[in-house]
Amino acid sequence: MHRKWASERSSFPVHEYTVRKDALKEFAEWLSHTYFSVFIQNHNSWMIPTIQSIHIAGIGIVMVSVFMVDLRILGLAGRDQTLQETTNRFGPWLTGALCVLLATGALMVIGEPVRELVTVSFWVKMFLVAVGTLIASVFQLVLRKHEQHWQDELIHRVTVKGLAILTFLIWVAIIVLGRLIAYDHVWGSWSPATKA
Amino acid sequence: MDLSTFLAALEASSIAVTIRNSLYIFPLIESAHVCGLAMVFGTIAVIDLRLLGFASTQRPFRRMASDTLKWTWAAFLLTAITGAFMFITNAGVYYHNTFFRTKMVALVLAGINMVIFEWTAGRTIHQWDTARSAPTAGKTAAVLSLVLWVSIIFLGRWIGFTTTRATVPTEKEPEINFDNIFDNGPDNAPSPPAK
Repeated sequence: MHRKWASERSSFPVHEYTVRKDALKEFAEWLSHTYFSVFIQNHNSWMIPTIQSIHIAGIGIVMVSVFMVDLRILGLAGRDQTLQETTNRFGPWLTGALCVLLATGALMVIGEPVRELVTVSFWVKMFLVAVGTLIASVFQLVLRKHEQHWQDELIHRVTVKGLAILTFLIWVAIIVLGRLIAYDHVWGSWSPATKA
Repeated sequence: MDLSTFLAALEASSIAVTIRNSLYIFPLIESAHVCGLAMVFGTIAVIDLRLLGFASTQRPFRRMASDTLKWTWAAFLLTAITGAFMFITNAGVYYHNTFFRTKMVALVLAGINMVIFEWTAGRTIHQWDTARSAPTAGKTAAVLSLVLWVSIIFLGRWIGFTTTRATVPTEKEPEINFDNIFDNGPDNAPSPPAK
């Protein structure tokens, strides 16, 4: 290893990193031998693309739900409605579609544990999903409590508008990372998948 | 120039060669394609659910449409361009793939469905603009649209599972991965997985 950043990484205790990575691989391999995983693997020719297609339709709903609320904050859509009305319209669809994504995502992990879990893209994606979900939940709770304050003042703040754009970009990044799970080698030596 | 020559010319074009030579351009194009189609499907679903009277029923249809449809078209443009880039990397294989062909037919049908909507329910919008749902012609178009766009997602995913990535030999050593951004030369970079 003589990459420019290799020296930075070598400051981490190497043995710990190796142990953690092996535990993940072992878990993925154990999962791939469970009954449900074997069932999906035996029917993978249609089950995997079907689950993935439902997952993509779900992300469409999630992305546009976030997008429409963000557009309302930016004043680019739904100006005949209050922020609370727009959020009431799209919030439940966001929650519902997220549940679909969680379920189909879990099935994909169970069906192809090594392909999913032993990648950088998957774990960065999961971190961003947690951040995106947290933002959406906190936003809806805070908005409900201080509806008038949001409508009269907060919605006009540049920081809030910036956060709206950032939130949308987080979901774009989630989609990109989701696709990159299949191409984790793009991360080069950062990817555990290429160390097989 | 017959069709197979044309497809071969597409595959030999410098853009196609550049995409094939890089192991990260294709995945990034595909990611942009998924972002675009998520937007297309999501925004169309918003309109269709309004037509069916399932959501946004308090808002006039025309206002919904003017808020939403411009983003649908922008996103559609993104998917069309990225789709074309993916197509030219392996034109011969995609052209003969049944799922690819069916997907193109479904896209045309979705377009026809939209035109018929404009000719029927679209002509009387002023009568039902503020109604909870559209008349039968509008609801029919909405159901067809939802079915077609979900099918398009399924067919697109199936293309990926029934075609192989292009393996046209090139003179140039292919770029390997992210490591190339930090350091030139594939000296120490790990090889991509076999499949």
